[in-house]
Amino acid sequence: MTQVHVVTRDNKKLYEDHIDQFFRLRHDVFVSERGWKDLEKPDKRETDAYDNDHAIYLIAIDKDKVVGGQRLYPTVLPHMITDVFSHLARRGAPRAFNIFEWTRYFVVKERRTGRADCRLLASFQEFCLEEGITQATAVVEMWWLPRWQQAGFKVRPLGLPTMVEGQPCVAAAIDISRDTLDRVRSLGGLRGSCLVWEGTRTPILDQVAHVAA
Amino acid sequence: MAGRVLDHATEAFAFIDELDRLFTADHVVDAMERSFSLFGFENFIVTGLPNPRERFEHMVLLKKWPAGWFEIYSKEDYVRVDPIIRLCRNTVQPFAWSEAPYDRAGDPRAAEVMDRATDFRMSEGFCLPIHGINGYEACLSMSGVDIDISSRTKPALHLMTIYAFERIRQLLSPTSLRSTGTLTLRERETLIWAAAGKSAADTGDILGITERTVTAHIVSACQKLGAANKTQAVARAIHHRLIRI
Repeated sequence: MTQVHVVTRDNKKLYEDHIDQFFRLRHDVFVSERGWKDLEKPDKRETDAYDNDHAIYLIAIDKDKVVGGQRLYPTVLPHMITDVFSHLARRGAPRAFNIFEWTRYFVVKERRTGRADCRLLASFQEFCLEEGITQATAVVEMWWLPRWQQAGFKVRPLGLPTMVEGQPCVAAAIDISRDTLDRVRSLGGLRGSCLVWEGTRTPILDQVAHVAA
Repeated sequence: MAGRVLDHATEAFAFIDELDRLFTADHVVDAMERSFSLFGFENFIVTGLPNPRERFEHMVLLKKWPAGWFEIYSKEDYVRVDPIIRLCRNTVQPFAWSEAPYDRAGDPRAAEVMDRATDFRMSEGFCLPIHGINGYEACLSMSGVDIDISSRTKPALHLMTIYAFERIRQLLSPTSLRSTGTLTLRERETLIWAAAGKSAADTGDILGITERTVTAHIVSACQKLGAANKTQAVARAIHHRLIRI
């Protein structure tokens, strides 16, 4: 049974093998499959400047195998929308201690039947709700936007679609809400939570307050 | 369009904000008519894509089509041969109608639907395909005789059509949230794993349900698809585009 594990700097020691799988899968998905050649790494592990102690990962694991993942990063720090994609957010991107940037979302090829996506999307909403994160910003490929909407995500575009690596993409702000969580759960036929948080657990917003101070 | 300079971004964001304040399909049609006419569009339709066992006219959510054309299109069952619909199923990117390929000599029915559409001032168009999270397929397609699709207008049109589609789906289509056709998500999942060579026991392990439950889903899928066994159910589900492998 697939569960989505919260991995932070405080408990990453418990997940060394899974984190390694996660980076390799990111390379498979983003470099090999989608062709984002700028991210190519000789060791076939896709990591970037934001894979640091501030990153929070929600990793879908089924019997020790990583089947999907996503990353959250504080918007009070320089992040991808401010550093790389500011031209996508002409209307301005919201930044606050309780707003996180959501990046590197993927599901492995053999699990793209819908349910794994619903699990990851539900876990994202649930984690943010629990931790007091009220909004997330993200750059999304346009063809995915209707899927978010179908899952009940409230999405505000921050600019017009712009080509990124040959794909029209849009920067957007997503509201975190109980309604959305219920909607995505019912779409995926999910009963209750599939979020797991093992080991040391520090409230996320406390960590951000510390960073921002 | 008639030398009018549009600020496409402003138009797009105003349209998207306005949609949130509209609570009936008629008001959404009015707003679409107003905003899309700035780009030269005269007609549009928002519809789910029928599988081979579904009727086109049951899939339509909303339309502003010229009088007479819908009747002809339904009666002739053009949805089965329409090159726009065909491309729609095979791409996730929006496209101009002129980009939808068909072989005029080898595919006379495709040529026929495109030619007859022209008689109704539907000579050029723009189509947004929707590929939902659980196999739901739909589109928003719009047309006119003098439309403005260029690298300047396309990003705004792309965003506006996605939000228009979503508002219409919210207002009109609670059932469209379900999977394509009649299979449940679990039935589709078990067939996909069967297609990948997994036994019912393997599939149960993967999905975190019992082997007996897996078998029950497959039996149910077989009944719905009129299939004699799992292999035939997989073949039919692929053929009807209910699953992809």
